[in-house]
Amino acid sequence: MQTKGSLSRRALFFMPMRAHFSRTAFADGAREMVPATIGIVPFGIVCGVAAIAAGASPVAAVGMSMIIFSGAAQIIACQLLAADAPLAVIVLSCFVIGLRFLMYSAALAPHLRSLDPRWRNLIAFLLTDQAFASTIQRFRESDDLAGNASYFVGGGALLWLAWQVATVVGILIGAIIPAAWQLEFVVPLCFLGLLAPLLRDRSTLVVFATSAIAAVAFDAMPMRLSLICAGLLGIAAGVLADRVPPKRTRVR
Amino acid sequence: MSKPLVIWLVIVVVGILNYAARLSFIAFFARREMPPLLAHALRHVPAAMLTAIVVPAIVLAGPGTLALDTGNHKLLAALVAGVIAWRWRSPVLTIVVGMSVLWLADYLLA
Repeated sequence: MQTKGSLSRRALFFMPMRAHFSRTAFADGAREMVPATIGIVPFGIVCGVAAIAAGASPVAAVGMSMIIFSGAAQIIACQLLAADAPLAVIVLSCFVIGLRFLMYSAALAPHLRSLDPRWRNLIAFLLTDQAFASTIQRFRESDDLAGNASYFVGGGALLWLAWQVATVVGILIGAIIPAAWQLEFVVPLCFLGLLAPLLRDRSTLVVFATSAIAAVAFDAMPMRLSLICAGLLGIAAGVLADRVPPKRTRVR
Repeated sequence: MSKPLVIWLVIVVVGILNYAARLSFIAFFARREMPPLLAHALRHVPAAMLTAIVVPAIVLAGPGTLALDTGNHKLLAALVAGVIAWRWRSPVLTIVVGMSVLWLADYLLA
């Protein structure tokens, strides 16, 4: 039997993480994320195009996708950079757009308590809309932490890789894409794809209506403050709607 | 400040803030119970923020110009794609249908 003394330092470093890793779950996660991955490729291409259009060097454009890894933030940042907005405005707008990550983090946190911190850090880095939407049910329904965490990382890693490749494609072919194709419309379509499935209960419909009206009404506000106002109003409306007791279900 | 410097500052600062938000509850609040009101509020954040991002991009033809008529091809495409996404939850299908309707509308109705 191997004693700890005879294991290499490298093995010792990774031992706690290996306890929560399942190769099959990792592969499953990657494989089942393929459809969503295909969906984000056009979005990534648009981000690559937008970054170059905003004046970023190819290296910076790839840096955006590797480090920020959030399409919404990248698009907003590129639009504001192209408009020569002040740094503080860009940072604030991106921060507002990223507030929903707080919710994803809060929803996942209870399930990840016993994970090694390095696993948690990695999962946090890969936490995107798609990764969350695809795996949250699994976390809630199954206690298999190693399986779920590995599944998440498998899907998340695939998304990250695809995002980088898509960005590079956007950087390379951006100049050739005709404006008439309106490729940038894939961005709202991607988010619509995430939003529409949520519109299934009354409170969420109230949130949607409130946020939609507010976002349009306040659109003229500077610094994209309309986003934060619409978001806050939508959230408040949702909390209020939660308090109204549901209609009695009809007896079939 | 030169443009390249601003861009790299944006990348680093936004990157850090984004990561901090993603890591927030996972790393730092894993041990504590969340107040119920916060939990309720947080539940609605994705819908609220996604709506605020999506809706203006589709219904506003320009700053302050609401376009809710059939001339707004993006609206048509979004309505169809929205139904598809609601029913089938498929990202690929949503995008394919959405872009197809947009292109068809541009071709047939322009």
